[in-house]
Amino acid sequence: MKAVCWMGKSSMETRTVPDPELINPHDAIIKVTRTAICGSDLHLYDGFIPTMESGDIMGHEFMGLVEEVGPEVANLKRGDRVVVPFTIACGNCIFCKKKFWAACDNTNPNAHLMEKAYGYSGAGLFGYSHMMGGYAGGQAQYVRVPFANVGPLKIENDLPDEKVLFLSDIFPTGYMAAENAQIQPGDTVAVWGCGPVGQFAIASAFMLGAARVIAIDRFQERLALARSLGAITVDYSEEDVSVLTALKDLTGGVGPDSCIDAVGLEAHSNELQGVYDVVKTALFMETDRPSVLRQAIQAVRKGGTLSIPGVYGGLLDKVPFGAAFGKGITMKMGQTNMHNYMKPLLERVEKGQIDPSYIISHRITLEQAPEMYKVWRDKKEKVTKIVIDPWA
Amino acid sequence: MSISPLTEKPYAEALPFSIGASVVVNGRYLSPPEDKDGKIWVRSSALVLRDAQTLYAMWRDVESAPRWQENIIEVVTTGPTTSRWSMKTSEDDDAKVIGWDSEVMADEPGVRIAWRSIGGESDNAGEVIFEAAPSGQGTVVTVLQEFRMGKLASAWETLVGRNPKQAVIENLRHFKALAETGEIPRSQLDPHGDRGIIGNLKRSSYGETVPTPTGSN
Ligand SMILES: [Zn+2]
Ligand SMILES: [Zn+2]
Repeated sequence: MKAVCWMGKSSMETRTVPDPELINPHDAIIKVTRTAICGSDLHLYDGFIPTMESGDIMGHEFMGLVEEVGPEVANLKRGDRVVVPFTIACGNCIFCKKKFWAACDNTNPNAHLMEKAYGYSGAGLFGYSHMMGGYAGGQAQYVRVPFANVGPLKIENDLPDEKVLFLSDIFPTGYMAAENAQIQPGDTVAVWGCGPVGQFAIASAFMLGAARVIAIDRFQERLALARSLGAITVDYSEEDVSVLTALKDLTGGVGPDSCIDAVGLEAHSNELQGVYDVVKTALFMETDRPSVLRQAIQAVRKGGTLSIPGVYGGLLDKVPFGAAFGKGITMKMGQTNMHNYMKPLLERVEKGQIDPSYIISHRITLEQAPEMYKVWRDKKEKVTKIVIDPWA
Repeated sequence: MSISPLTEKPYAEALPFSIGASVVVNGRYLSPPEDKDGKIWVRSSALVLRDAQTLYAMWRDVESAPRWQENIIEVVTTGPTTSRWSMKTSEDDDAKVIGWDSEVMADEPGVRIAWRSIGGESDNAGEVIFEAAPSGQGTVVTVLQEFRMGKLASAWETLVGRNPKQAVIENLRHFKALAETGEIPRSQLDPHGDRGIIGNLKRSSYGETVPTPTGSN
């Protein structure tokens, strides 16, 4: 089959590789009909995530048709159409039972690598480094899905792939970010980053009762999408714009009730602290550049909530913890507990409350994927979301 | 029994341990024993959502150990309390196999099992205890294992590429996954593109050259 392989930092190649086979009794093989490149795949492309090995198959956002199931998979059969969550969960450990699916104890074969780096291990992920499990990803024509009895969501309607594909990651991730923001009806919510996760966080914040959503980014196409959802936008790249002042001006000096950092570890900032972070990252003095997190802590109102769906990979430097303590803020964060959200969000799509395909800007083939990684990373085109048809 | 015992080790422990695997004794936390005098120790525990009796039975069924213990290729029962263990020392087809006899020293169904090697190419002793979790959900399984530096420990370290302490931790992880889900998560057989020299180097440095046990026979 054909698959997009990571061949080293800033190097992707579409290669012919062996087809996946059933390995464990709860596996299924999925024929991928649509897959996507995620913003967090750029962290791998840029070499920010350790334990990638050349030849690794990329991709954790995918859907398709069940090709084959293992002997213990009773809920799926050949031909079923499914969306697969990017986190793999066993359904039987204490964390799955508590519905913290992303913390599953039993799905990372390389948990020891994760424990060495972080002191704990979470669920295994598709196509996201060896410390996250070493599983082949879904930017391919076929993929093996472990614990197919637990994760995949059956699509039993005729909605096109593009409307349901994002249930595999970014829609639930954006939704959980809004849920973690503990929004009360009438609240004002600020969202940093208007990429796909930010978009779905904005849409979900409105669904959860926010009266006003303030969207912060520097890319015009993303800000326009945010405005199309009803958000007020702040372009932080404009010369005279200070995000902190803007957020005060827009909230009568109070600050947003909730702040969502949908940017994460590759936060870009034109302020001095941003430059400081770039220098320190280049010197390997810290792994993450938390400029958005700092700003969000400073901006949120007293007693407010900070929600962090953005991926952080390591240690943070110069976080204003005194302000966080002084204001008595709540911080909620973490990898998405996908399995809680896929079904209810599918229902919202079925009812026509949202059409997640509005964020797609590029539709490509597997052969075009390596070039598109570069185009997206270098911001050479107005990319909001890239979807791949592996059979085109 | 048709299998004759391997050479008796003169310095094998008379009892498995002066202390057991327990983490708490008389209300006090007890840290694991320190490595000294050529002995290395490892203690690891896992919360497993199965009842103690089931987990005890799984552990006591020594002949099924190759399903979840890394590089153990065969265990044969040689008596009511004894068994013969064989372990591969590398992934090569012609890899040397080391063997030892093991004897169960304490056997309390649903509570604990203690064992020690009684001959062959390994000096090891261990205890596993099964305790109800404080929450009432599941069982805390704690294993304490001791090795003397010998062929087993050095086989793990130099040939198999896994620190023997880590092997005990990994085996408990595999045991838990198998007990909770009926399988052990595996990704080593997934397809991939050409690894090249650097990719292969990384694999061995990460310990991924140790095959994950299959979870089945
Ligand atoms: Zn993603
Ligand atoms: Zn689990």
